[in-house]
Amino acid sequence: MAVVTSRIELCGRLADACGPFVDLALPVEGLPVPELISVLGEHFPALQDGLSKGRIRACINETIVPDEAIVLPGDIVALFPPVSGG
Amino acid sequence: MSSHVELTEAGFDPAARLATFSASLGDEGAVVSFTGRARGKAKDGNAVGALVLETYRGVTLASMQAIAGDAHERFVITHSHVVHRAGRILPGEAIVFVATASPHRRAAFEAADYLMDRLKTEAVFWKREEHPDGASWIEPTAQDQADTVRWLQSEG
Repeated sequence: MAVVTSRIELCGRLADACGPFVDLALPVEGLPVPELISVLGEHFPALQDGLSKGRIRACINETIVPDEAIVLPGDIVALFPPVSGG
Repeated sequence: MSSHVELTEAGFDPAARLATFSASLGDEGAVVSFTGRARGKAKDGNAVGALVLETYRGVTLASMQAIAGDAHERFVITHSHVVHRAGRILPGEAIVFVATASPHRRAAFEAADYLMDRLKTEAVFWKREEHPDGASWIEPTAQDQADTVRWLQSEG
């Protein structure tokens, strides 16, 4: 299976465990958001605690997307823990 | 009608913002403003050295603009002005400023209240308090959430 390394930005408290960016190999056909989160937790066990607290939302190319969205290699991807508001 | 929405890492002067906003108005009979300031003590009473507000690219500003747009749809206001700090904010500094103008006071009061309730819970920020022992992430309180929910439960 062809994979492409993609950079994922981790926002808020998600950055506590591994810093604000992690690199992850994504299949060229992409991954749905819940699978991306699951794979990320497998590759970075220190992130699992943060990823399991509250609803984690994905932001692709500066748009917050529903869980059905597919994250493709080359997308600008960030994961948002629940926002704190201003 | 105008809506100014701004995200800034620099400090700002709420009084100067209100003066500029008021000077831009026409015949509106009501102007309401609110300033939120960083507190020097956490909820547990311990000293807070600074509040740090993290944002994400254009998404944070877009979330603020969406909230302001909703306020203009929902209330009879002619102008609004929203400024929010990002980055490191010291106790006593202004974090947020909201001003609204309307022909009549009720809409101006309600729109400012609505803007603040939604900014406090839905705007895309991650907030942490820095204190002598480290830092802790802050999430909206139950009261903040309840304040926002009441707008979903009431019409207009």
